Amino acid sequence: MIYLAKEDIKHTLGKFIVTAMGVGMLLGIVLIMIGVYRGMIADARVILDDLDVDLWVVQEDTLGPFAEASRIHEDLKFTLKGYQAIDKSEAITFQNIQIPFHEKQLSVMAIGYDVYGSIVPINTKRLIAGRTLQNDHYEIVVSDKTDYKLGDTIPLGRDIYTVVGITHGTVASGGDPLVYVSLKDAQTLQFTYTNKRIQTDRARGIPSGGDAHLVNAIIATVYPSYRVDATAKTLRKWLHKGIYTREQQTDVLTKYVVEKASKQIGLFTVILIVVATIIISLIIYTMTLEKMKEISIMKLIGLPNSTIVKMIVEETLLLGVLAFIFGNVFSHLIYTKFPKNVVLQAPDALTLFIIVVIASIVASFVGVKKVISADPTAAIGG
Amino acid sequence: MSTKQAIKVENLNKSFGKGDAFVDVIKDANFTINKGELVALIAPSGAGKTTLLMMLGCVNEPNSGTMWLGDEKVFENKWLTKETRKIRREKIGFIFQAHYLIPFLNIIDNLTLLPQANKVADKESKAKAKELLKYFDIADKENAMPSQLSGGQNQRVAIARALMNNPEIILADEPTAALDMNRSVDVVKMLKKIALEQDVAIVMVTHDDRMLEYCDRIMKIENRSVVFV
Repeated sequence: MIYLAKEDIKHTLGKFIVTAMGVGMLLGIVLIMIGVYRGMIADARVILDDLDVDLWVVQEDTLGPFAEASRIHEDLKFTLKGYQAIDKSEAITFQNIQIPFHEKQLSVMAIGYDVYGSIVPINTKRLIAGRTLQNDHYEIVVSDKTDYKLGDTIPLGRDIYTVVGITHGTVASGGDPLVYVSLKDAQTLQFTYTNKRIQTDRARGIPSGGDAHLVNAIIATVYPSYRVDATAKTLRKWLHKGIYTREQQTDVLTKYVVEKASKQIGLFTVILIVVATIIISLIIYTMTLEKMKEISIMKLIGLPNSTIVKMIVEETLLLGVLAFIFGNVFSHLIYTKFPKNVVLQAPDALTLFIIVVIASIVASFVGVKKVISADPTAAIGG
Repeated sequence: MSTKQAIKVENLNKSFGKGDAFVDVIKDANFTINKGELVALIAPSGAGKTTLLMMLGCVNEPNSGTMWLGDEKVFENKWLTKETRKIRREKIGFIFQAHYLIPFLNIIDNLTLLPQANKVADKESKAKAKELLKYFDIADKENAMPSQLSGGQNQRVAIARALMNNPEIILADEPTAALDMNRSVDVVKMLKKIALEQDVAIVMVTHDDRMLEYCDRIMKIENRSVVFV
């Protein structure tokens, strides 16, 4: 049995493989793009999953610190503790700061929490060196992405902080690494101005310092015997604050914060797939054109169209499958080099594989059309 | 009942175009070619040799007339079957100016490709291919690629390919055009031998008058008419 596609590919193997590698790199980028989206979702969930709390109390009429500015009083945590259903409640701050990084500045998200409180946002499973915070001042736990080592010092604001712990895989929804400081330090960083600013404020009649006991959210856990949604409803009625359950806060993150980025990535992915299909079509068209003399001969001596069409379709499918394999290898080789978290998942690869097979079949139509319209008399001189 | 008749045409006509662009190419052609005959087809360029060859090969459709291939009437003012390609596959062998072997198939695969399309068993077609390669004295080349063979060897493979489907007719379009004198004579003598030994009718288009002496008959297109000289 002669397999025309196999023999043809064997004849031009090097060219075929290089072509498949080229298309494969394009498909690899498609996989990376999907991975960036998955990474954004995974990153967005890191803080929520590590905190593992039931309720988020934020400034009224805001979506909370992940979506917009939210400021509430720190002592609200005591009010919250007065509710029967509430087990633990703590204040928490989120702020973007810059820390020195290889003679440049690195944007990180600093989480401030009460070191002596009942809720610790640092997931000990992510702690790869050192410990969590134990003192109210001048200690910092950093992500390994910052490249700091235990015992290193970092100047922040007017103070010097010592690295006491290093975490892995801790990032904010935007991809910035997380650092953890005490709530007091976080408030100092947020509300302490420069001397010149204080001087100007005083001249304007603004009291210096202001209220430093503000936080971005109060987080709370609910006793297992109480329903979280019912508790949230009650709190909403009495506190005049924005109350979100964990699921609602996850929705805020994935729908409001990541949605636009995911749509953009989705559009890029679609465009890349269309481009890949067009490229495969052009390659197959060129490969078919190169064989037109042979195709005319085959038609003239009596080979049925189905035999020739089968060769074109098989070659296109093989090109697609080989490109998909190269794309997978390529994406797995480079995904760790991206500054943002890239999560490659098997179901995404499987979906892309199905799309590539369909795209290859569509791409083969141009070659098949050329085969069907080939004039057998073109084989003969006149 | 099987007869000696390989090709028979009656009042075959072929023209192209309409109105001012109308060109009459073949007019009222009537002839019979028998199995075992090597017939040369000669005419000046553009006189319609290839057109006639393509009609006999069931590639181009005549405008009118009747045509038989072997005992089977295949055309009577229209094709009598939709699958003219099947007729070619089963009854006709083609030889071209150049060998036109499939470059990505080795010699044995080039030969067995057509029988495979005719659903002939692999073993049977390979045995036939080997037998033909031996007949043409290139038995040791069965696994070689066409690019590894000389022009003369490739042309012999091309002739062997034309015989793989046990055709009743071989249509050869200037098979010696790309060869030198000695090789051309060898090829024509070989065609003559095949016509006799395989009981095949061969119609050979040629521009080379030196080849005519090896042919049984000479068919000429003159003023759109087909005549024997």
